[in-house]
Amino acid sequence: MVRPDSPHSYPGTLGNKPIAVQFHAGSHYVALRLLEGYLPKEKLKLVHYGSPQQRFEAMWHGAVDACAVMEPWIALGEKLGCKTLCEGHYLGAENASDDMDEATFAAINRAVARAVDMFNADKRRYLHYLIDDPRSAAALARYGGLTPDDFHLPRLRYVQATPYTDEIVADTYHWMVRWGLISSAACPADLVDNRLPAAATASAAD
Amino acid sequence: MKKVVSEISGTVFSLPWLIARDHGLFAAEGIDMAFVHARPSGVVQHTENPADVNPVLGHVAFEEARVSIYRA
Repeated sequence: MVRPDSPHSYPGTLGNKPIAVQFHAGSHYVALRLLEGYLPKEKLKLVHYGSPQQRFEAMWHGAVDACAVMEPWIALGEKLGCKTLCEGHYLGAENASDDMDEATFAAINRAVARAVDMFNADKRRYLHYLIDDPRSAAALARYGGLTPDDFHLPRLRYVQATPYTDEIVADTYHWMVRWGLISSAACPADLVDNRLPAAATASAAD
Repeated sequence: MKKVVSEISGTVFSLPWLIARDHGLFAAEGIDMAFVHARPSGVVQHTENPADVNPVLGHVAFEEARVSIYRA
């Protein structure tokens, strides 16, 4: 995302321009995945700025040329006239501790599955969670605030939980190795344990 | 009721979880769900080198085993 008056209108002109992300988080990875289609690696200038608010404000105040953000900051930027140069989606992940038992995880997933259905049946009804979050509400208000009508609903994609496939894990692992984000000595099978999600998915489908 | 503590980072990642809490869906499954927020970013040292940044980020509560699940 870039400022309304930015000279950039597509990702290919962002070479050597600072782009605010949070390293080792979704904004970092999705920025690489999107921009590597337009720019050589040596021209990507990602800068760690921390939270979505910090990244948005770095862009808005001109400290960087662009930022990678998620909702509700996309909706706010678009309301203010910012330009979205590219947009990507990625899989969220539930990360459970080793001592999370299968029955508890399955019960949690059944509850979340019902909530996903509720959200998808009436998305605007639940956008207050994004607008009123106490950690960002004051900042959103400083820029004029948001209402549920400011959101592009198809962007908000919540789906039933499914296990990561071995193919997705392997593809992601090799991509991370290529970008130096994980040691090639690491083994994907040692890092991802899909047993609990598989059990939870089976239970949710019952 | 089984007590579970979950970490919330970006609200957009946890929106269905908040719906489940507020509409009694966790309770219906016998889960007493509590939330804690991920550690705020605070003052951030700007860097172009990912190696300068701790990949744990704000997921401190999970690393310290004070929560048993988080999402991102």
